[in-house]
Amino acid sequence: MRRSLLAATAAAAVLAAGAAQADEIRIGVLYPIAGTGAVYGEPAMHGHNMAVDELNAAGGILGKKIVSFARDTKLKPAAASAAAKELITKDGVDVLVGGLSSAVGLAISEVARQEGVVYVATIPKTIKLTTEKRHDHVFRTASHTDFEGDAMAQIVAQLGLKKICDIQLDYAYGHDLAAGIEKGLKRHAPDAEKVLDLRVKLGATDYNAFISQIMGAGCDGVTSGLWGSHFVNFAQQGSPFGLFQQIKYISGGEIASHEIAGKMKGDYPDNVWSNTYELWYHHHDPSHVAFQEALAARSGTGETAMWPVLAYIGVKFIAAAAEKAGSMDADALSGALKGMSISTPVGQRTIDPETHQADTGQFWGPMVRKEGADYRVMDPVTYIPAVIEE
Amino acid sequence: MDSIIQFVQQDLGNPGLAALLSNPSFAFIQLMNSFSQAMNLFIIAAGLSLIFGVLRVINFAHGAFYMFGAYIVYSVAQEWTGNFWLGVAAAGLGLAVMAVIIERGLFQYIYDKEHLMQLLLTFAVVLILSDVAKIIWGTDQYSVSYPAGMKGAVDLGVTFYPTYRLFLIVVGPAIAIGLWLFTERTRFGRLTRAATQDREMLSALGVNVPIIYTGVFILGSVLAGIGGGLAAPFNSPTPGMDATIIVDCFVIVIVGGLGSIWGSFIGAIIYGLVFNYGSVIVPNWQDVFPFLILLAVLLVRPWGLFGKPEGGNA
Amino acid sequence: MTRPVLAACAAVFLLLALVPLLESNYLIDLFNEIMIYALFALSLNVIIGYSGNVSFGHAAYFAIGGYTMAILLTTYEWSLLPAFAAAVAFSFAASAVVAYFCTRLTDIYFAMLTLAFSMLVWGVAFKWRSMTGGDDGFVGVDVPAFIAERVPFYYFSLVVIGAAVAVLWVICHSAFGRALLAVRENPIRAGFVGINTRLMRWWAFVVAGTFAGIAGSLFAMVHRGMYTESAFWPESATVLIMTLLGGMYSFFGPAIGAASLFLLERLTNEYTEYWPLVLGTILLAILMFLPEGLAGLAQAIRRQILRGR
Repeated sequence: MRRSLLAATAAAAVLAAGAAQADEIRIGVLYPIAGTGAVYGEPAMHGHNMAVDELNAAGGILGKKIVSFARDTKLKPAAASAAAKELITKDGVDVLVGGLSSAVGLAISEVARQEGVVYVATIPKTIKLTTEKRHDHVFRTASHTDFEGDAMAQIVAQLGLKKICDIQLDYAYGHDLAAGIEKGLKRHAPDAEKVLDLRVKLGATDYNAFISQIMGAGCDGVTSGLWGSHFVNFAQQGSPFGLFQQIKYISGGEIASHEIAGKMKGDYPDNVWSNTYELWYHHHDPSHVAFQEALAARSGTGETAMWPVLAYIGVKFIAAAAEKAGSMDADALSGALKGMSISTPVGQRTIDPETHQADTGQFWGPMVRKEGADYRVMDPVTYIPAVIEE
Repeated sequence: MDSIIQFVQQDLGNPGLAALLSNPSFAFIQLMNSFSQAMNLFIIAAGLSLIFGVLRVINFAHGAFYMFGAYIVYSVAQEWTGNFWLGVAAAGLGLAVMAVIIERGLFQYIYDKEHLMQLLLTFAVVLILSDVAKIIWGTDQYSVSYPAGMKGAVDLGVTFYPTYRLFLIVVGPAIAIGLWLFTERTRFGRLTRAATQDREMLSALGVNVPIIYTGVFILGSVLAGIGGGLAAPFNSPTPGMDATIIVDCFVIVIVGGLGSIWGSFIGAIIYGLVFNYGSVIVPNWQDVFPFLILLAVLLVRPWGLFGKPEGGNA
Repeated sequence: MTRPVLAACAAVFLLLALVPLLESNYLIDLFNEIMIYALFALSLNVIIGYSGNVSFGHAAYFAIGGYTMAILLTTYEWSLLPAFAAAVAFSFAASAVVAYFCTRLTDIYFAMLTLAFSMLVWGVAFKWRSMTGGDDGFVGVDVPAFIAERVPFYYFSLVVIGAAVAVLWVICHSAFGRALLAVRENPIRAGFVGINTRLMRWWAFVVAGTFAGIAGSLFAMVHRGMYTESAFWPESATVLIMTLLGGMYSFFGPAIGAASLFLLERLTNEYTEYWPLVLGTILLAILMFLPEGLAGLAQAIRRQILRGR
C-alpha cells in the first residue's frame, strides 16, 4: 500500500516535470485530435501549426519562440475541461485557444474563468459564450448562432419559404441556433411559420422517423444545424424519400465546406443552401491565394479543408494582442484583445470590446453541380457579414 | 374519427398523434420506418443473441464487429471495386476471419470463468478493436453510396418508399427464417441447440464441442459484419459507431430473451415501433424510450419475452 | 482494525496531507481526483467483492451525488452542509429504490438491470436541460468561498474521503460485512443459517450507492461541473475495471486499482493517443494472468518471499 503510493508520487513527479521556461510562449491548444471529431480537429491543427510556424519564422511573439501544447478534447466537455486545466496547471500555458463543439467551448471557458487565463474560442458558436457566460478572459473569433440564424432567415426570405420545419442536434449549438433562426425569421420573414421542431441526439444515426415527419408536416423549407456525419446520414436517408425535391434545405453547421462536398460527391443532395468560413476555390480576400497555396503544400492536397483557417486566425489574434500588450499577462492580453483588429485570409476581423465577439461573417449559397467536377460547389458565393439589422 | 382527431389535437395538445390518426399514409410510413430500422438491428442483435445462447458470453465487442463490417464495405465497395454486394460479402468474410482469431485466441479460455470476467474480456476487445479500426481507417467519416438500382423509391400505392429500405424489410425475415431452419433442420444446428442445454453430455457423446463454439461464434460475428455492411449506405462509417449500436442491441436481445432468435426478431420490431412512433407522439424523447422498454421488461420478466427463466432469478 | 493496517492507513493519510507542500496545482488536482476515484471504486466493491453481484450501472449514483451537489450549490445557492447532506440523501434514496428491484435478480440479469437503471439516470440528465444543462453538462459550480481555493478544497476532500473510507472499512469488517461475505460464498447456506440474503444484498447496494454519491459530489466540486458522461455506461465500466485491476477480494485493492489506472491514463496520454488500446491490452493481461488483481499479485509475491525465507 505504502510502496504503491510512493511509486505513485514518483510517477506524478515525473508527470509534473515540465517546468515553465521564461524564454518561450506557451499556447494550449484544444481540439479533438484522436477519436470522434478528429476529422475536424486534425485539419484545425494544420491551420494552428501553420500560424505558429509563420510567427516563429518571423521571430515569435515578443521575441520569444512559440511552443504549442495540444490536448485531445474527445469532443466531450468533461474531457475538454480536464485537458484545459491540465494545460494550465501542468504545462503552464499562457493562453488557451481552440475548442470544437459549443459544449466543449463552454467547458473550456469555465476553466479559463476559474484559472484566470485568456481563452480564444476559434470554432464554438453557441451565443451564450459571449452573452450570459461571457467573462473578462473569453474571446471568440468564430461566428455565433445569432449571426448564423439571422443569415439563414435571410435565405428563407429570399426563397420565399412559408412553412418551416426545424431539425437540430440536442445540445447547446442546436438549441441556440434554433433560437437564432427564430429571431431571424421575425426580422426577415415574419410571415414564415415554424410548424415542426425536432431535436436529435448528438451522434444519432437513424433519421427516417424524422424525415417522414418533415415530409408529413407539409413544410416547404427545412432549417437545420446537423453538421458533419449527421448531415451525411440525414441526406443519405432523406434522398430516397425525395425529401430534397420536396423542400429547400437551409443549413448552418458549414455543410457547404469542401470536406463534406468532396466526401459525398454525387450523393450530395439537391436544394441545399449552406455556409462555410472559407472555400479553397473562392478568393474573397487577395491574401487568400497565398494562404491557400501554403495550406495545400502543408496538408498535401490541392483542395483544402475549411477548418484550418479558423485555428489560424485564432493564433494570429493572440500574437497581435500580445505584441500590443507587450506581455502575455492574462489581463493585459484581455485588454489588448478588446477592439483588436487584424487582417486575415478571409478579410478584416475586429473583436467587439463589449461583447468579446469578432465580426466573423460567413459565405452562404446554394450547392450546385459544376461542369467537370465530381463534387458540388457553392455558386454563387455570397458573403453575409456579421451584422444583425434590427 | 374527426372528433377523436380534434380531441387529440386540441384537448390533448398532441399534434404528432393527431397527424398519425388523420394521415394514414404518414402512419404507414412510420410503420415501414419501424420495420426497416428493426430489421437492420435484428440482423446484428441476432448474432449477439446466438453467441450468448450457445457460448453464454455477452459479447460487448459485437458493436465493434458491426463497425468493422461498415468500414470494410466502405473500403471494398467505395474505394476498390465499386460493387456494393462484393463489399458486403467481404464484410462477412472479414468478420469470419476476425471471429476465428478472437474466439480461438481469447474467448475459448473464458467459457468457464465468471460472467464478470467474460464481460470485461469482451470489453477489452472493444477497446483494442476501436483503436485498430482507427489505425486502419483513420478518423475520417466516410460516405457509402446505395447499391446500383436501389438509390430511389418504389411506389407502394399509398406512398413511395425507399427501395433500399424495402430490401432490408425483406432481408430481415429471410435471415430469421434461415437461422431458424439452420438450428432446427441441420445436424450442426441440432448440435448447437444441444450444446446450449448440456455441454458435458455432448462432449461425453464424442461431439467436438469446441468446433461448435467456434462455428457459432463465426456465424454470430458474420451477422454483425453483414449488418454493419448493410447499414453503411445510410449510416456513415465513423469512429464511435460501435458504442451506439451495442446499447441498442442489448436492449433488443434482453427484451426478446437472451439466446432466442425469434425473441431478437420481436425485440427489434418493438424497438423500431417505440422509436418511430414514440418520436412522433412524445417528440424528442426518443433517446430515452429504449431504456424504458428494457426496464419494463427486466422488472416484469427478467428473462425476456421469449427467453426461459433460469438460474438468474433468485 | 489490525495494527499494521492502521499504521499503513495513517501513513497514507499523512503522505496525502503533505501533497500541497509540493506547491504544484497540477499534483493537488491529480491527487484529489485519484482520491475521489479511489472512493468510487471502494464503494463499488461493497457490491462486487462483498455481496458477489456485478453492478454495471454504478456511475448512476456517482452522477446523482454530483448533479445534486452542483445544482443545489449553484442554482439554489444552498450552503455546503445542507447541499452535501442532500447529495448523500439523494444517492441513498435512489440506490434504495433501485436496489429493491435489482436484488430480486442475480448474475447477468442483475448486471443488466443496474445498467438499465443507470441509463435512465443518464436519460434524465440528458433531457432535463433546464436543470442539468443536458448534453452540455452543468458548467460552473459555485463552490463555497472557504474551500474555493485549491489547497483548502484539497484538505476538505481529504478529510471527507478519509472519513468515508474509514466508515466503509468499519461497515465491511463488522458483523454485517462478514454476513455479506457468507452470502457471496454460499447464498443457500447463508439462507439456512438465518441470514436474510436479499436484505443483505439490498444493504450492500445502498451502502455502495451512497458512498458513490459522496465521491460524485466531490467530483462536481473539483471539476466545477458535472457532465452526462459521468452517468453513461462506459463510466460504469471504467470503475469496474479499476475495482478488478486492484483486486475485488481485498478491501483496499480497488483504491490501488483506481490510482494505478488513473495515473496510467495520464502517463499514456502523454506519449500516445491510443489509450484505449493500452487499456484494452492491460485489461486482457489482468484477466488472463492476474484474475485477483494487483492486490492478489502483491499477496502472491509476499507468500513467495515468505516461503523463500
